[in-house]
Amino acid sequence: MKKKSDKEILGNGIETVRDIDNWHISSNYKGSISFNVEPFNGNTEQVLDSCPTRALSTAKDDKPVTISVDHGKCIMCGYCSQIAPEFITIQSKPASPVKLKKQLSEYSNSQIQSEKSFEEIGNELREKIKKMFGRSLAIREVDAGSCNGCEIEITALNNPIYDIERFGIHFVASPRHADVLLVTGPASKNMESALLQTYEATPGPKIVIAVGACACSGGIFGDTYATTGGIDKVVPVDVYIPGCPPRPEVLIQGLLLAVDRMITNGI
Amino acid sequence: MNKIWLEKYKKEILGKFENKIDKILENYNELHLFLKNEKDIPEICNYIYNDLDTRLVTMICTDERKLGNGFVIRHVFGKENGEDVFIFVTLKITDSILSYPSIAMAVPAATLHEREIQDMFGIIPTNNPDTRPLVLHDHWDKDVFPLRKDFDLNTKIPRQEREYSFLKVQGEGICEIPIGPVHAGIIEPGHFRFSVMGENIINLETRLFYAHKGIEKLAESMKIEDVLLLSERISGDESVANSIAFCQSIEKIASVTIPKRAQQIRTIFGELERLYNHMGSLAGISSDVGFPFGSARLNILKERLMKLNESLSGSRILFGVNRIGGVRCDITDEDKKIITESLESILSDFENIIILLNSKSSFIDRLKDTGIISKQFAQDLGVVGVAARCVGIGVDTRRDHPYSAYLLHRKETPQEVMQHEISMQKRKGDVLSRFEVRVQEVRESFDIIRLSLNLENDGLYINIPQNLEPFRSALGYAESHRGQTVHWVMTGENNSIFRYKVRTASFFNWPIIEQAVLNDIVPDFPLVNKSLDLSYSGNDL
Repeated sequence: MKKKSDKEILGNGIETVRDIDNWHISSNYKGSISFNVEPFNGNTEQVLDSCPTRALSTAKDDKPVTISVDHGKCIMCGYCSQIAPEFITIQSKPASPVKLKKQLSEYSNSQIQSEKSFEEIGNELREKIKKMFGRSLAIREVDAGSCNGCEIEITALNNPIYDIERFGIHFVASPRHADVLLVTGPASKNMESALLQTYEATPGPKIVIAVGACACSGGIFGDTYATTGGIDKVVPVDVYIPGCPPRPEVLIQGLLLAVDRMITNGI
Repeated sequence: MNKIWLEKYKKEILGKFENKIDKILENYNELHLFLKNEKDIPEICNYIYNDLDTRLVTMICTDERKLGNGFVIRHVFGKENGEDVFIFVTLKITDSILSYPSIAMAVPAATLHEREIQDMFGIIPTNNPDTRPLVLHDHWDKDVFPLRKDFDLNTKIPRQEREYSFLKVQGEGICEIPIGPVHAGIIEPGHFRFSVMGENIINLETRLFYAHKGIEKLAESMKIEDVLLLSERISGDESVANSIAFCQSIEKIASVTIPKRAQQIRTIFGELERLYNHMGSLAGISSDVGFPFGSARLNILKERLMKLNESLSGSRILFGVNRIGGVRCDITDEDKKIITESLESILSDFENIIILLNSKSSFIDRLKDTGIISKQFAQDLGVVGVAARCVGIGVDTRRDHPYSAYLLHRKETPQEVMQHEISMQKRKGDVLSRFEVRVQEVRESFDIIRLSLNLENDGLYINIPQNLEPFRSALGYAESHRGQTVHWVMTGENNSIFRYKVRTASFFNWPIIEQAVLNDIVPDFPLVNKSLDLSYSGNDL
């Protein structure tokens, strides 16, 4: 192989995203499902039945029929849009994190989504963290039985592209050092007591964030003999981040929401 | 295709055990032996394992009491090195006995399988030296057997208080260090118990299955298309390999051959998955030796590959690529250009980083002679994937049991075969050799993708029959970045799944870590762990 100069070997230049517009979400990305405006007049039963996680539901006496989606359950498989492509489409915009579980459901595509860039959210977050904690926000990640998809995205937060540490957020090794618990997975029965103990070991004030469809609702693993069907069955959850898995941009939105919540609750 | 080998082994086995075998059936590349008496298991398994030189692939138990077969246990052995054959040793266990002779003493890799079957079905392997519970932790009721048909999926079992007995190492100056299940890093749950003398690890005992989600039981209540989604989520980073394996078994049951284009696209996505995960493990190795610069650079490449995944499949970790009978995402001519361009720039950056890492003596020093695996242990425990190739055991499902479009990429010339053989023999089984194997595989993956990009034009998928024949079974397999993953599906009535058995590479590779860390210091454990790159979720199911 030809000898390379040191500079060739060393440098990439700056890789961190400064502007989300230059590092935009691909138009192919399966972010969330959205409904077209016209009322649905196809076979409702068939559409509801196509969903493997029962994320779609309909109000009984509604005429015309409206279908709603629970983003906390949706795993973006796209089976429903295969059956009713003219009514349900998959958009690249991911669903937003919310504070209350019921906010995860939406009837039409009316939710106001943050148009801010990763950088803007990050800076806002840094200001708020500084105001509240004086310095930084410490996160402990707990895997309560996830498939490790969410872990890949959480790890990505630490890579040079997203580099979450520049906003004063860092992952700590023990729950005793943490302000935030970032919990993934459907809370398997075997992890139940470990999760509870981790929660108890975290000093107050603390925030629990449920990351991903499994943590929000049990996801595809549901509520069976081996799972509890969502983190909130074991510990109180403050913020729900939907997605399977949620991408780093959505994770940081969720963290902002968590800090907001700490401020409004007045610690 | 492989009929010659099937005939050969059929003859050989019948010649020796004719009076002990009830009947022999063939199913694709599978040879099913039905035994008359359970007492003959050790003898026949021993013969197949040692004399026919096979590896244990998996052990499958099914509850067929409703069909009048009692419980059925299948020991599955696989051939390597060019002979594409799987041998199933099958026997029925009646309801009244509920035990069978263990083969753990002759085939050590069977130990964990037998313990798993004991937990999930309540069938006792006699003479298995380890009878502790495995999947169901101490807080489960002892009379709960989730995979039996009379157990309801949604049963909630009240917690019991019992204690798991770890192996105790005693003596002056020996300390015990318990770690987990909640770890310091962003990783999955598992418990490790070290016994250390000073800084050196005397014994390590792993306790896993914290992430047990009941996947196999859950699959029995789902539609077949939904099980495909479940198979992608067995281990998020192995989604393509696992879904390929699942699709394969359904396609075999339905007796369809998928279009060539779909096979090529599966190959491309399988290799893209290997690429981004290998980048991640190499980055992890670099950060675990305290060299964040290397890991930062490799993580940049991993992120770029995930961006590529996103633009091709709509998912950053390649969920939703496969469908039964083919693939869901096409690769257009435009995509081909994107792939070629991004891979070219990634490969050149990658080569730069590897030059950099290889030139840092402090980096290589930490890797060298750390976490050595002995070839004997690796063979006995049936280790697969990178962990096997790092000691020169050349198992690779892509070559041994070709699937998708991998047949096209075999090493052809005698010189290439020879060179490959020599490099295999040089490997020592330490972290450095695992590092080198990964680097080599990254390069090979780039080549495979480049070759596969020459796509055929015969469609993305083929429709499978509306109704699948009940109680037919087939084996599906794939090589994930961790090693061989094997899925076995048996269909039930009304297009349901009667039994879905999954054995990922991690299930075979976890026990080797207990051997690899012996006599290393505790701070080396994360490094050894990362270099083996095992999935907890894929093991725990």
